[in-house]
Amino acid sequence: MDNKELKEQLKQQVIEVLNLEDITPADIDDAAPLFGEGLGLDSIDALELLMLLDKNYGIKFSDRNQSKAVFASIDAMAAYIIANRKK
Amino acid sequence: MISAIADNIISPLGMTTAANLEAVRSGKTALRNHDNVHGVKLQEPVVGSFFEELPCMDGYTSFETLLIKSVAAALSETHINAESDTCVFIISTTKGNIWSSPADSAKKVANYFGNKVSPIVVSTACTSGVSAQLAAWRMLTSGRYETAIVVGCDVQSEFIVSGFQSFKALSNELCRPFDVQRKGLNAGEAVATLILSNTRNGKWHLMGGSIHNDANHISGPSRTAEGSLRCLKDMLKLVDKTDLAMISVHGTGTLYNDEMESIAIHRAEMDEIPVSALKGYYGHTMGAAGLLETILTMHALDEGVILPSKGYETQGTTYRVNLSQDERESRGNSFIKLLSGFGGVNAAVAWTKAEVKEKNLTPDEYNKWKEKAAVTLTSSDNIKELYKAEIGNYPKFYKMDMLARLGFVGTELLLKRAGVEPEHEGTAIVMANYSASMKNDKDYEATIEDKNNYFPSPALFVYTLPNIVTGEVAIRHQVYGETAFYVLHSEDEMQQLIDVTGMKPSIKTIIAGWVECVSTDDYYAKLSLLKR
Repeated sequence: MDNKELKEQLKQQVIEVLNLEDITPADIDDAAPLFGEGLGLDSIDALELLMLLDKNYGIKFSDRNQSKAVFASIDAMAAYIIANRKK
Repeated sequence: MISAIADNIISPLGMTTAANLEAVRSGKTALRNHDNVHGVKLQEPVVGSFFEELPCMDGYTSFETLLIKSVAAALSETHINAESDTCVFIISTTKGNIWSSPADSAKKVANYFGNKVSPIVVSTACTSGVSAQLAAWRMLTSGRYETAIVVGCDVQSEFIVSGFQSFKALSNELCRPFDVQRKGLNAGEAVATLILSNTRNGKWHLMGGSIHNDANHISGPSRTAEGSLRCLKDMLKLVDKTDLAMISVHGTGTLYNDEMESIAIHRAEMDEIPVSALKGYYGHTMGAAGLLETILTMHALDEGVILPSKGYETQGTTYRVNLSQDERESRGNSFIKLLSGFGGVNAAVAWTKAEVKEKNLTPDEYNKWKEKAAVTLTSSDNIKELYKAEIGNYPKFYKMDMLARLGFVGTELLLKRAGVEPEHEGTAIVMANYSASMKNDKDYEATIEDKNNYFPSPALFVYTLPNIVTGEVAIRHQVYGETAFYVLHSEDEMQQLIDVTGMKPSIKTIIAGWVECVSTDDYYAKLSLLKR
């Protein structure tokens, strides 16, 4: 799977796991911040994203602060997954 | 006056209040490492306080057995007639048995003691034990009952522990409330009973209480402590600050809770008042916490001491809170018990040994409510379509569980029909049902059932508390007034609880709702907008 496909898949997964029903993958800018104004995500969403990475890519974080940089954008998430995925 | 006439605590530290007080004063903690909860292996070990062996009487669950044992022990200290129709059972629990309605457990427990009055289950997350005391105060003040048997309990399980793990809220060490090194809470279990009476005199008198919502977030406490601040300010109207011995805080040991409480205390200008946090001995005992911590505080103050806050060494909050790892001498006749919980709810009660001026509320003063609008939703109403057609533009709707969606859409339609926006301070949101959060509990359970595909969902876990629906409405409309959730056998049992909400003079509007969600296609809601 190339980077573009991974990002598409990731957007689908984010939309599904966070119940972003009014949003389509096309609405999510690869480089835009996931948290803050954009998608209106909160701390529970951050925990669900941690679970998404564990469940789908076998990635676990021992330090939650580390995950903040990973959730900066879809670009950042995809790059981290490529470098660290276990499944 | 409403007095405490008997009490009991059963915990891993002891079977009586006296044994618990002694254990705490000698610095014992019930917190240990566990790789299982009552024989169920945990995916990740925890530090917690669990009974070595859960008692279980024939025909009763362990939860019900614990309630019965604690109530029986408290009753043995007094001569009240628990069978009387002027005696009401008020049960505080967050999860009860999980797989059956806590209303059924409450009835079984009341019936065990020959009591036929419909019991009340207070389920307002971690504030349940204080909200239950306030419910008792109101019931006794109304004169409808002479005695309230208030009992709080939760039995720990993989269900609860995994949920807190998914929230990354647990510490893998002994919890350290308010300390700079604190990492999270520990799960605990206990049962505690407080018997209140408006006819018999006891040493301690319940002056009243207060509930406020943060109107901020369903799991994270307010960064400015809006709810707890309002609770403390309300308590300062009841208690003379110079006679206030201490505040018994929630002090869970999580970063956010303790920080929030320090802000509330600072903003209420109570920085100098001694504070005590007891989670270092018991962990977070959920439905029992409010009662256990109230009872222990009373008995410690009777001995002239403020209990040490185990685990606290170095200030770890923005504002300094006056707590100590050492036992201190107490001064003053009164104390405040403060709690906060998921759903943005905060609650406080004030107790004193001094005389309390009688509140002679006539029913006319509090229960004259006029219905301004009503909404009924049934299984034939498609809630999602109703949301899209009549509300929209609130994406959080899609994150809610079915119960919260039902209460949320019902409330929106109600307000739309009435053509009003609720007052931020003067509104109470009072909801109830029979099956608590059963539908969502099953959804959450599905995420932990398969040990090879074990991914407990925090977004589902938060809705395993039925009071979250009241928090969703509070957030939507910035309601800081009261939020309450009760689990009852039938809709008609709700009226008395709605009426007594009017005892809080600042409440001018009540959004009252019976919101029942059994499954995705079996639900019912009836909501009313009430004005004084």
